[in-house]
Amino acid sequence: MSIAARDRLASVAFLLPTLGLFGVFVVYPIVFNVQASFLDWNGVTEGTTVGLSNYSTLWQDPIFRTTLRNSALWIPLTILPQAAIGFLLALALNGPLRGRSIYRALFFIPAVLSPVVIGIVWQRILDPSTGVLAQASRETGLGWLQTGVLADPQTAIFGVIAVNIWTWTGFSMLFYLAGLQLIDKNLLEAATIDGANPWQATWRITLPLLRNTHLSLLMLGVIGALKTFELIYVLTQAGPNNATQMLPTYAFEQAFRLQSVGYAGAISVVLVVLAVGTSLGMTRVFGSGFLSGADR
Amino acid sequence: MRAQSIAVATTLVGLVTLSACAGQSNTGGDGESGTEVAEGDSGTVSFRSWSPIEQTTMQMIEATEASTGAEIDATIFNYPEYIVDLQTRAGSGTLADVVGLQPGALTQQYRENLMPLQDCAEQTWGADWQDQFYPIGLDQARMGNPDGDDNFYALPLLTQTVNLWANSEILDEAGLEPPQTWDELTAAVDTLGEGSAVPFLLPAQDSWLRNVVFLQIANNVSPGTVYEAESGEIPWTDPRIVEAIGWWERLFTDGIAQEGAISLDAYPSGANQFEAGEAAMIPLGAWWIQQSDPSRESIPPLAEGMAGFEPFLFPTIPGGATEPQFVGGIDVALGISANASDPDLACAVLTDWIAGDGAQVLINTFNDIPAVTGVSPQEFTSEKQEEIWGLFVDEWLPQVEYSRYFEDPDIDKAVADALAAVATGEATPEEAAQSIQDAQDARR
Repeated sequence: MSIAARDRLASVAFLLPTLGLFGVFVVYPIVFNVQASFLDWNGVTEGTTVGLSNYSTLWQDPIFRTTLRNSALWIPLTILPQAAIGFLLALALNGPLRGRSIYRALFFIPAVLSPVVIGIVWQRILDPSTGVLAQASRETGLGWLQTGVLADPQTAIFGVIAVNIWTWTGFSMLFYLAGLQLIDKNLLEAATIDGANPWQATWRITLPLLRNTHLSLLMLGVIGALKTFELIYVLTQAGPNNATQMLPTYAFEQAFRLQSVGYAGAISVVLVVLAVGTSLGMTRVFGSGFLSGADR
Repeated sequence: MRAQSIAVATTLVGLVTLSACAGQSNTGGDGESGTEVAEGDSGTVSFRSWSPIEQTTMQMIEATEASTGAEIDATIFNYPEYIVDLQTRAGSGTLADVVGLQPGALTQQYRENLMPLQDCAEQTWGADWQDQFYPIGLDQARMGNPDGDDNFYALPLLTQTVNLWANSEILDEAGLEPPQTWDELTAAVDTLGEGSAVPFLLPAQDSWLRNVVFLQIANNVSPGTVYEAESGEIPWTDPRIVEAIGWWERLFTDGIAQEGAISLDAYPSGANQFEAGEAAMIPLGAWWIQQSDPSRESIPPLAEGMAGFEPFLFPTIPGGATEPQFVGGIDVALGISANASDPDLACAVLTDWIAGDGAQVLINTFNDIPAVTGVSPQEFTSEKQEEIWGLFVDEWLPQVEYSRYFEDPDIDKAVADALAAVATGEATPEEAAQSIQDAQDARR
């Protein structure tokens, strides 16, 4: 065997474990779901092929349309505030602030808490009858604090989004802190010598240099939004009246509560298409280097 | 290039091998596929469920291992995780020997994977074995069986009524008795509204709770009518059902339920508030007596011997039945895998948990009401606790006629969604009833 052939064999051998894992944990579930989406199947007994029936039902399903609307709201309304607040916190905590390590830890704590804990705690805070805010409202006379945001189908999704922002802003802050510490201080000093004020230095120098951080957070935010499950499951159980239903919660409900694995498969396929499409689109627009920090 | 070809070919072969798995069944012993033996060695019985809780299950296992000689390997999950585990294992032919089930759809879905249990019951308890069970438990055990199929694919372990609970101290301080009629309920809420506790805590975020409260109302409005609608004998838009939905709506519009009731969950939030004395009344069920389980590490004063709590039935509705109706059914049932490694041993374990030494341990924790008569806790911590227990087992459960469950999960969801829509003002009772009818029509 020639050296070149041996090298090729070795490279294939090195690839095989990854390919195997990729096949089992990524490709197989996708193929399984695609196949299930063409069935009327409860997940246990023999399924019946129904062609595209599950997909045609999807487009007439008002709850499915709610999941798409909620995803469309969730992505910008979580990613932008999280990034903006996270960036401002990072700027503040990147300077010589006394006790900044403590502040950093405090702001990051929600990101490491279990969504179950967060859901229970925020439900108790927001409960308009006996919640913390309701009690504060009674004590202070500030009626606007007594909010039934999670009880109103028109506002519930915004309540959950607000809790999600509270949870993940510290994570954005940490990303931006890491990015800020990679910026060459000479650039900012040179800008100051050239007469740039702090606002101009931040807007014209710091923000553009954090491009890869912005894009990484955007990518993680989109993926996180599409796979949101635990927080909604605990905080609202996707209610009231399905108002906070998202694609993963609806797929779970269909598969395991309503025993419609075929229909859940169709929902999952839409989810996969959205996730892959978004990721490919972003890679196409911004280049693949932003995740690794390499140039485009 | 060749390496790439090999990789692509390997992936394709893998895909072809892995595909065609969705949609296949893994049925029981008589099926063509799925003939693998369930997990566990001979002498070992595997058990997976969401109930009883792990601590209680471990105590039951200790007792049952001593009486049957079986070695029991148990895994207890949270309910959402359990139904995923159950479906996955049933689909892959690795169902545990003994599994926890709920009546209706959750049993019927796995019927082909489960062993009929009447022979096991008869061998253990004799030909008249059905006499020892509460009738509603046996009715529900076969709920949804195809016509002509009289097998028991599950047997009830614990049963319950769904009812209301009152905080005796709050009611006593206000000079009130648990309300027996709707008018008394509204009057009590008005009186209690002046205090700091929530008069009627309705944790309506949970679909199951919305449905059981509605079933109590609907059966008090017109006993049994809602089940006629489910079976298609009458439409869901029947005036009596619309009226029942209207009474549900009044819980919200008349200020009986607390503000934001639709966003409060029963567990842990609602239960914690009620146990802490922050509410005067709450709709739950017989299982609330488990708060007085003497083996709990710390028991709040209200729950100590049920000192501060008392159960009562949902008040009668004007123009409806003159007496409150009893609604309830199975809390948890047990089934045996058709592929159980040792069916006789699995049967011994299952029957011991229902009516043997394991059952005694279970009932000593007041987890819920047993499925069979004649099993009582060996020790009561107060007279009140004993009175409440007696009320459930001697008076209420034998009278339970109406199921707390719908047979079809789609109807269950349609009703729960319709009730949520009414509670949030997004639908009128007429529109809500029509939406359930639409869901039923779509099923057909």
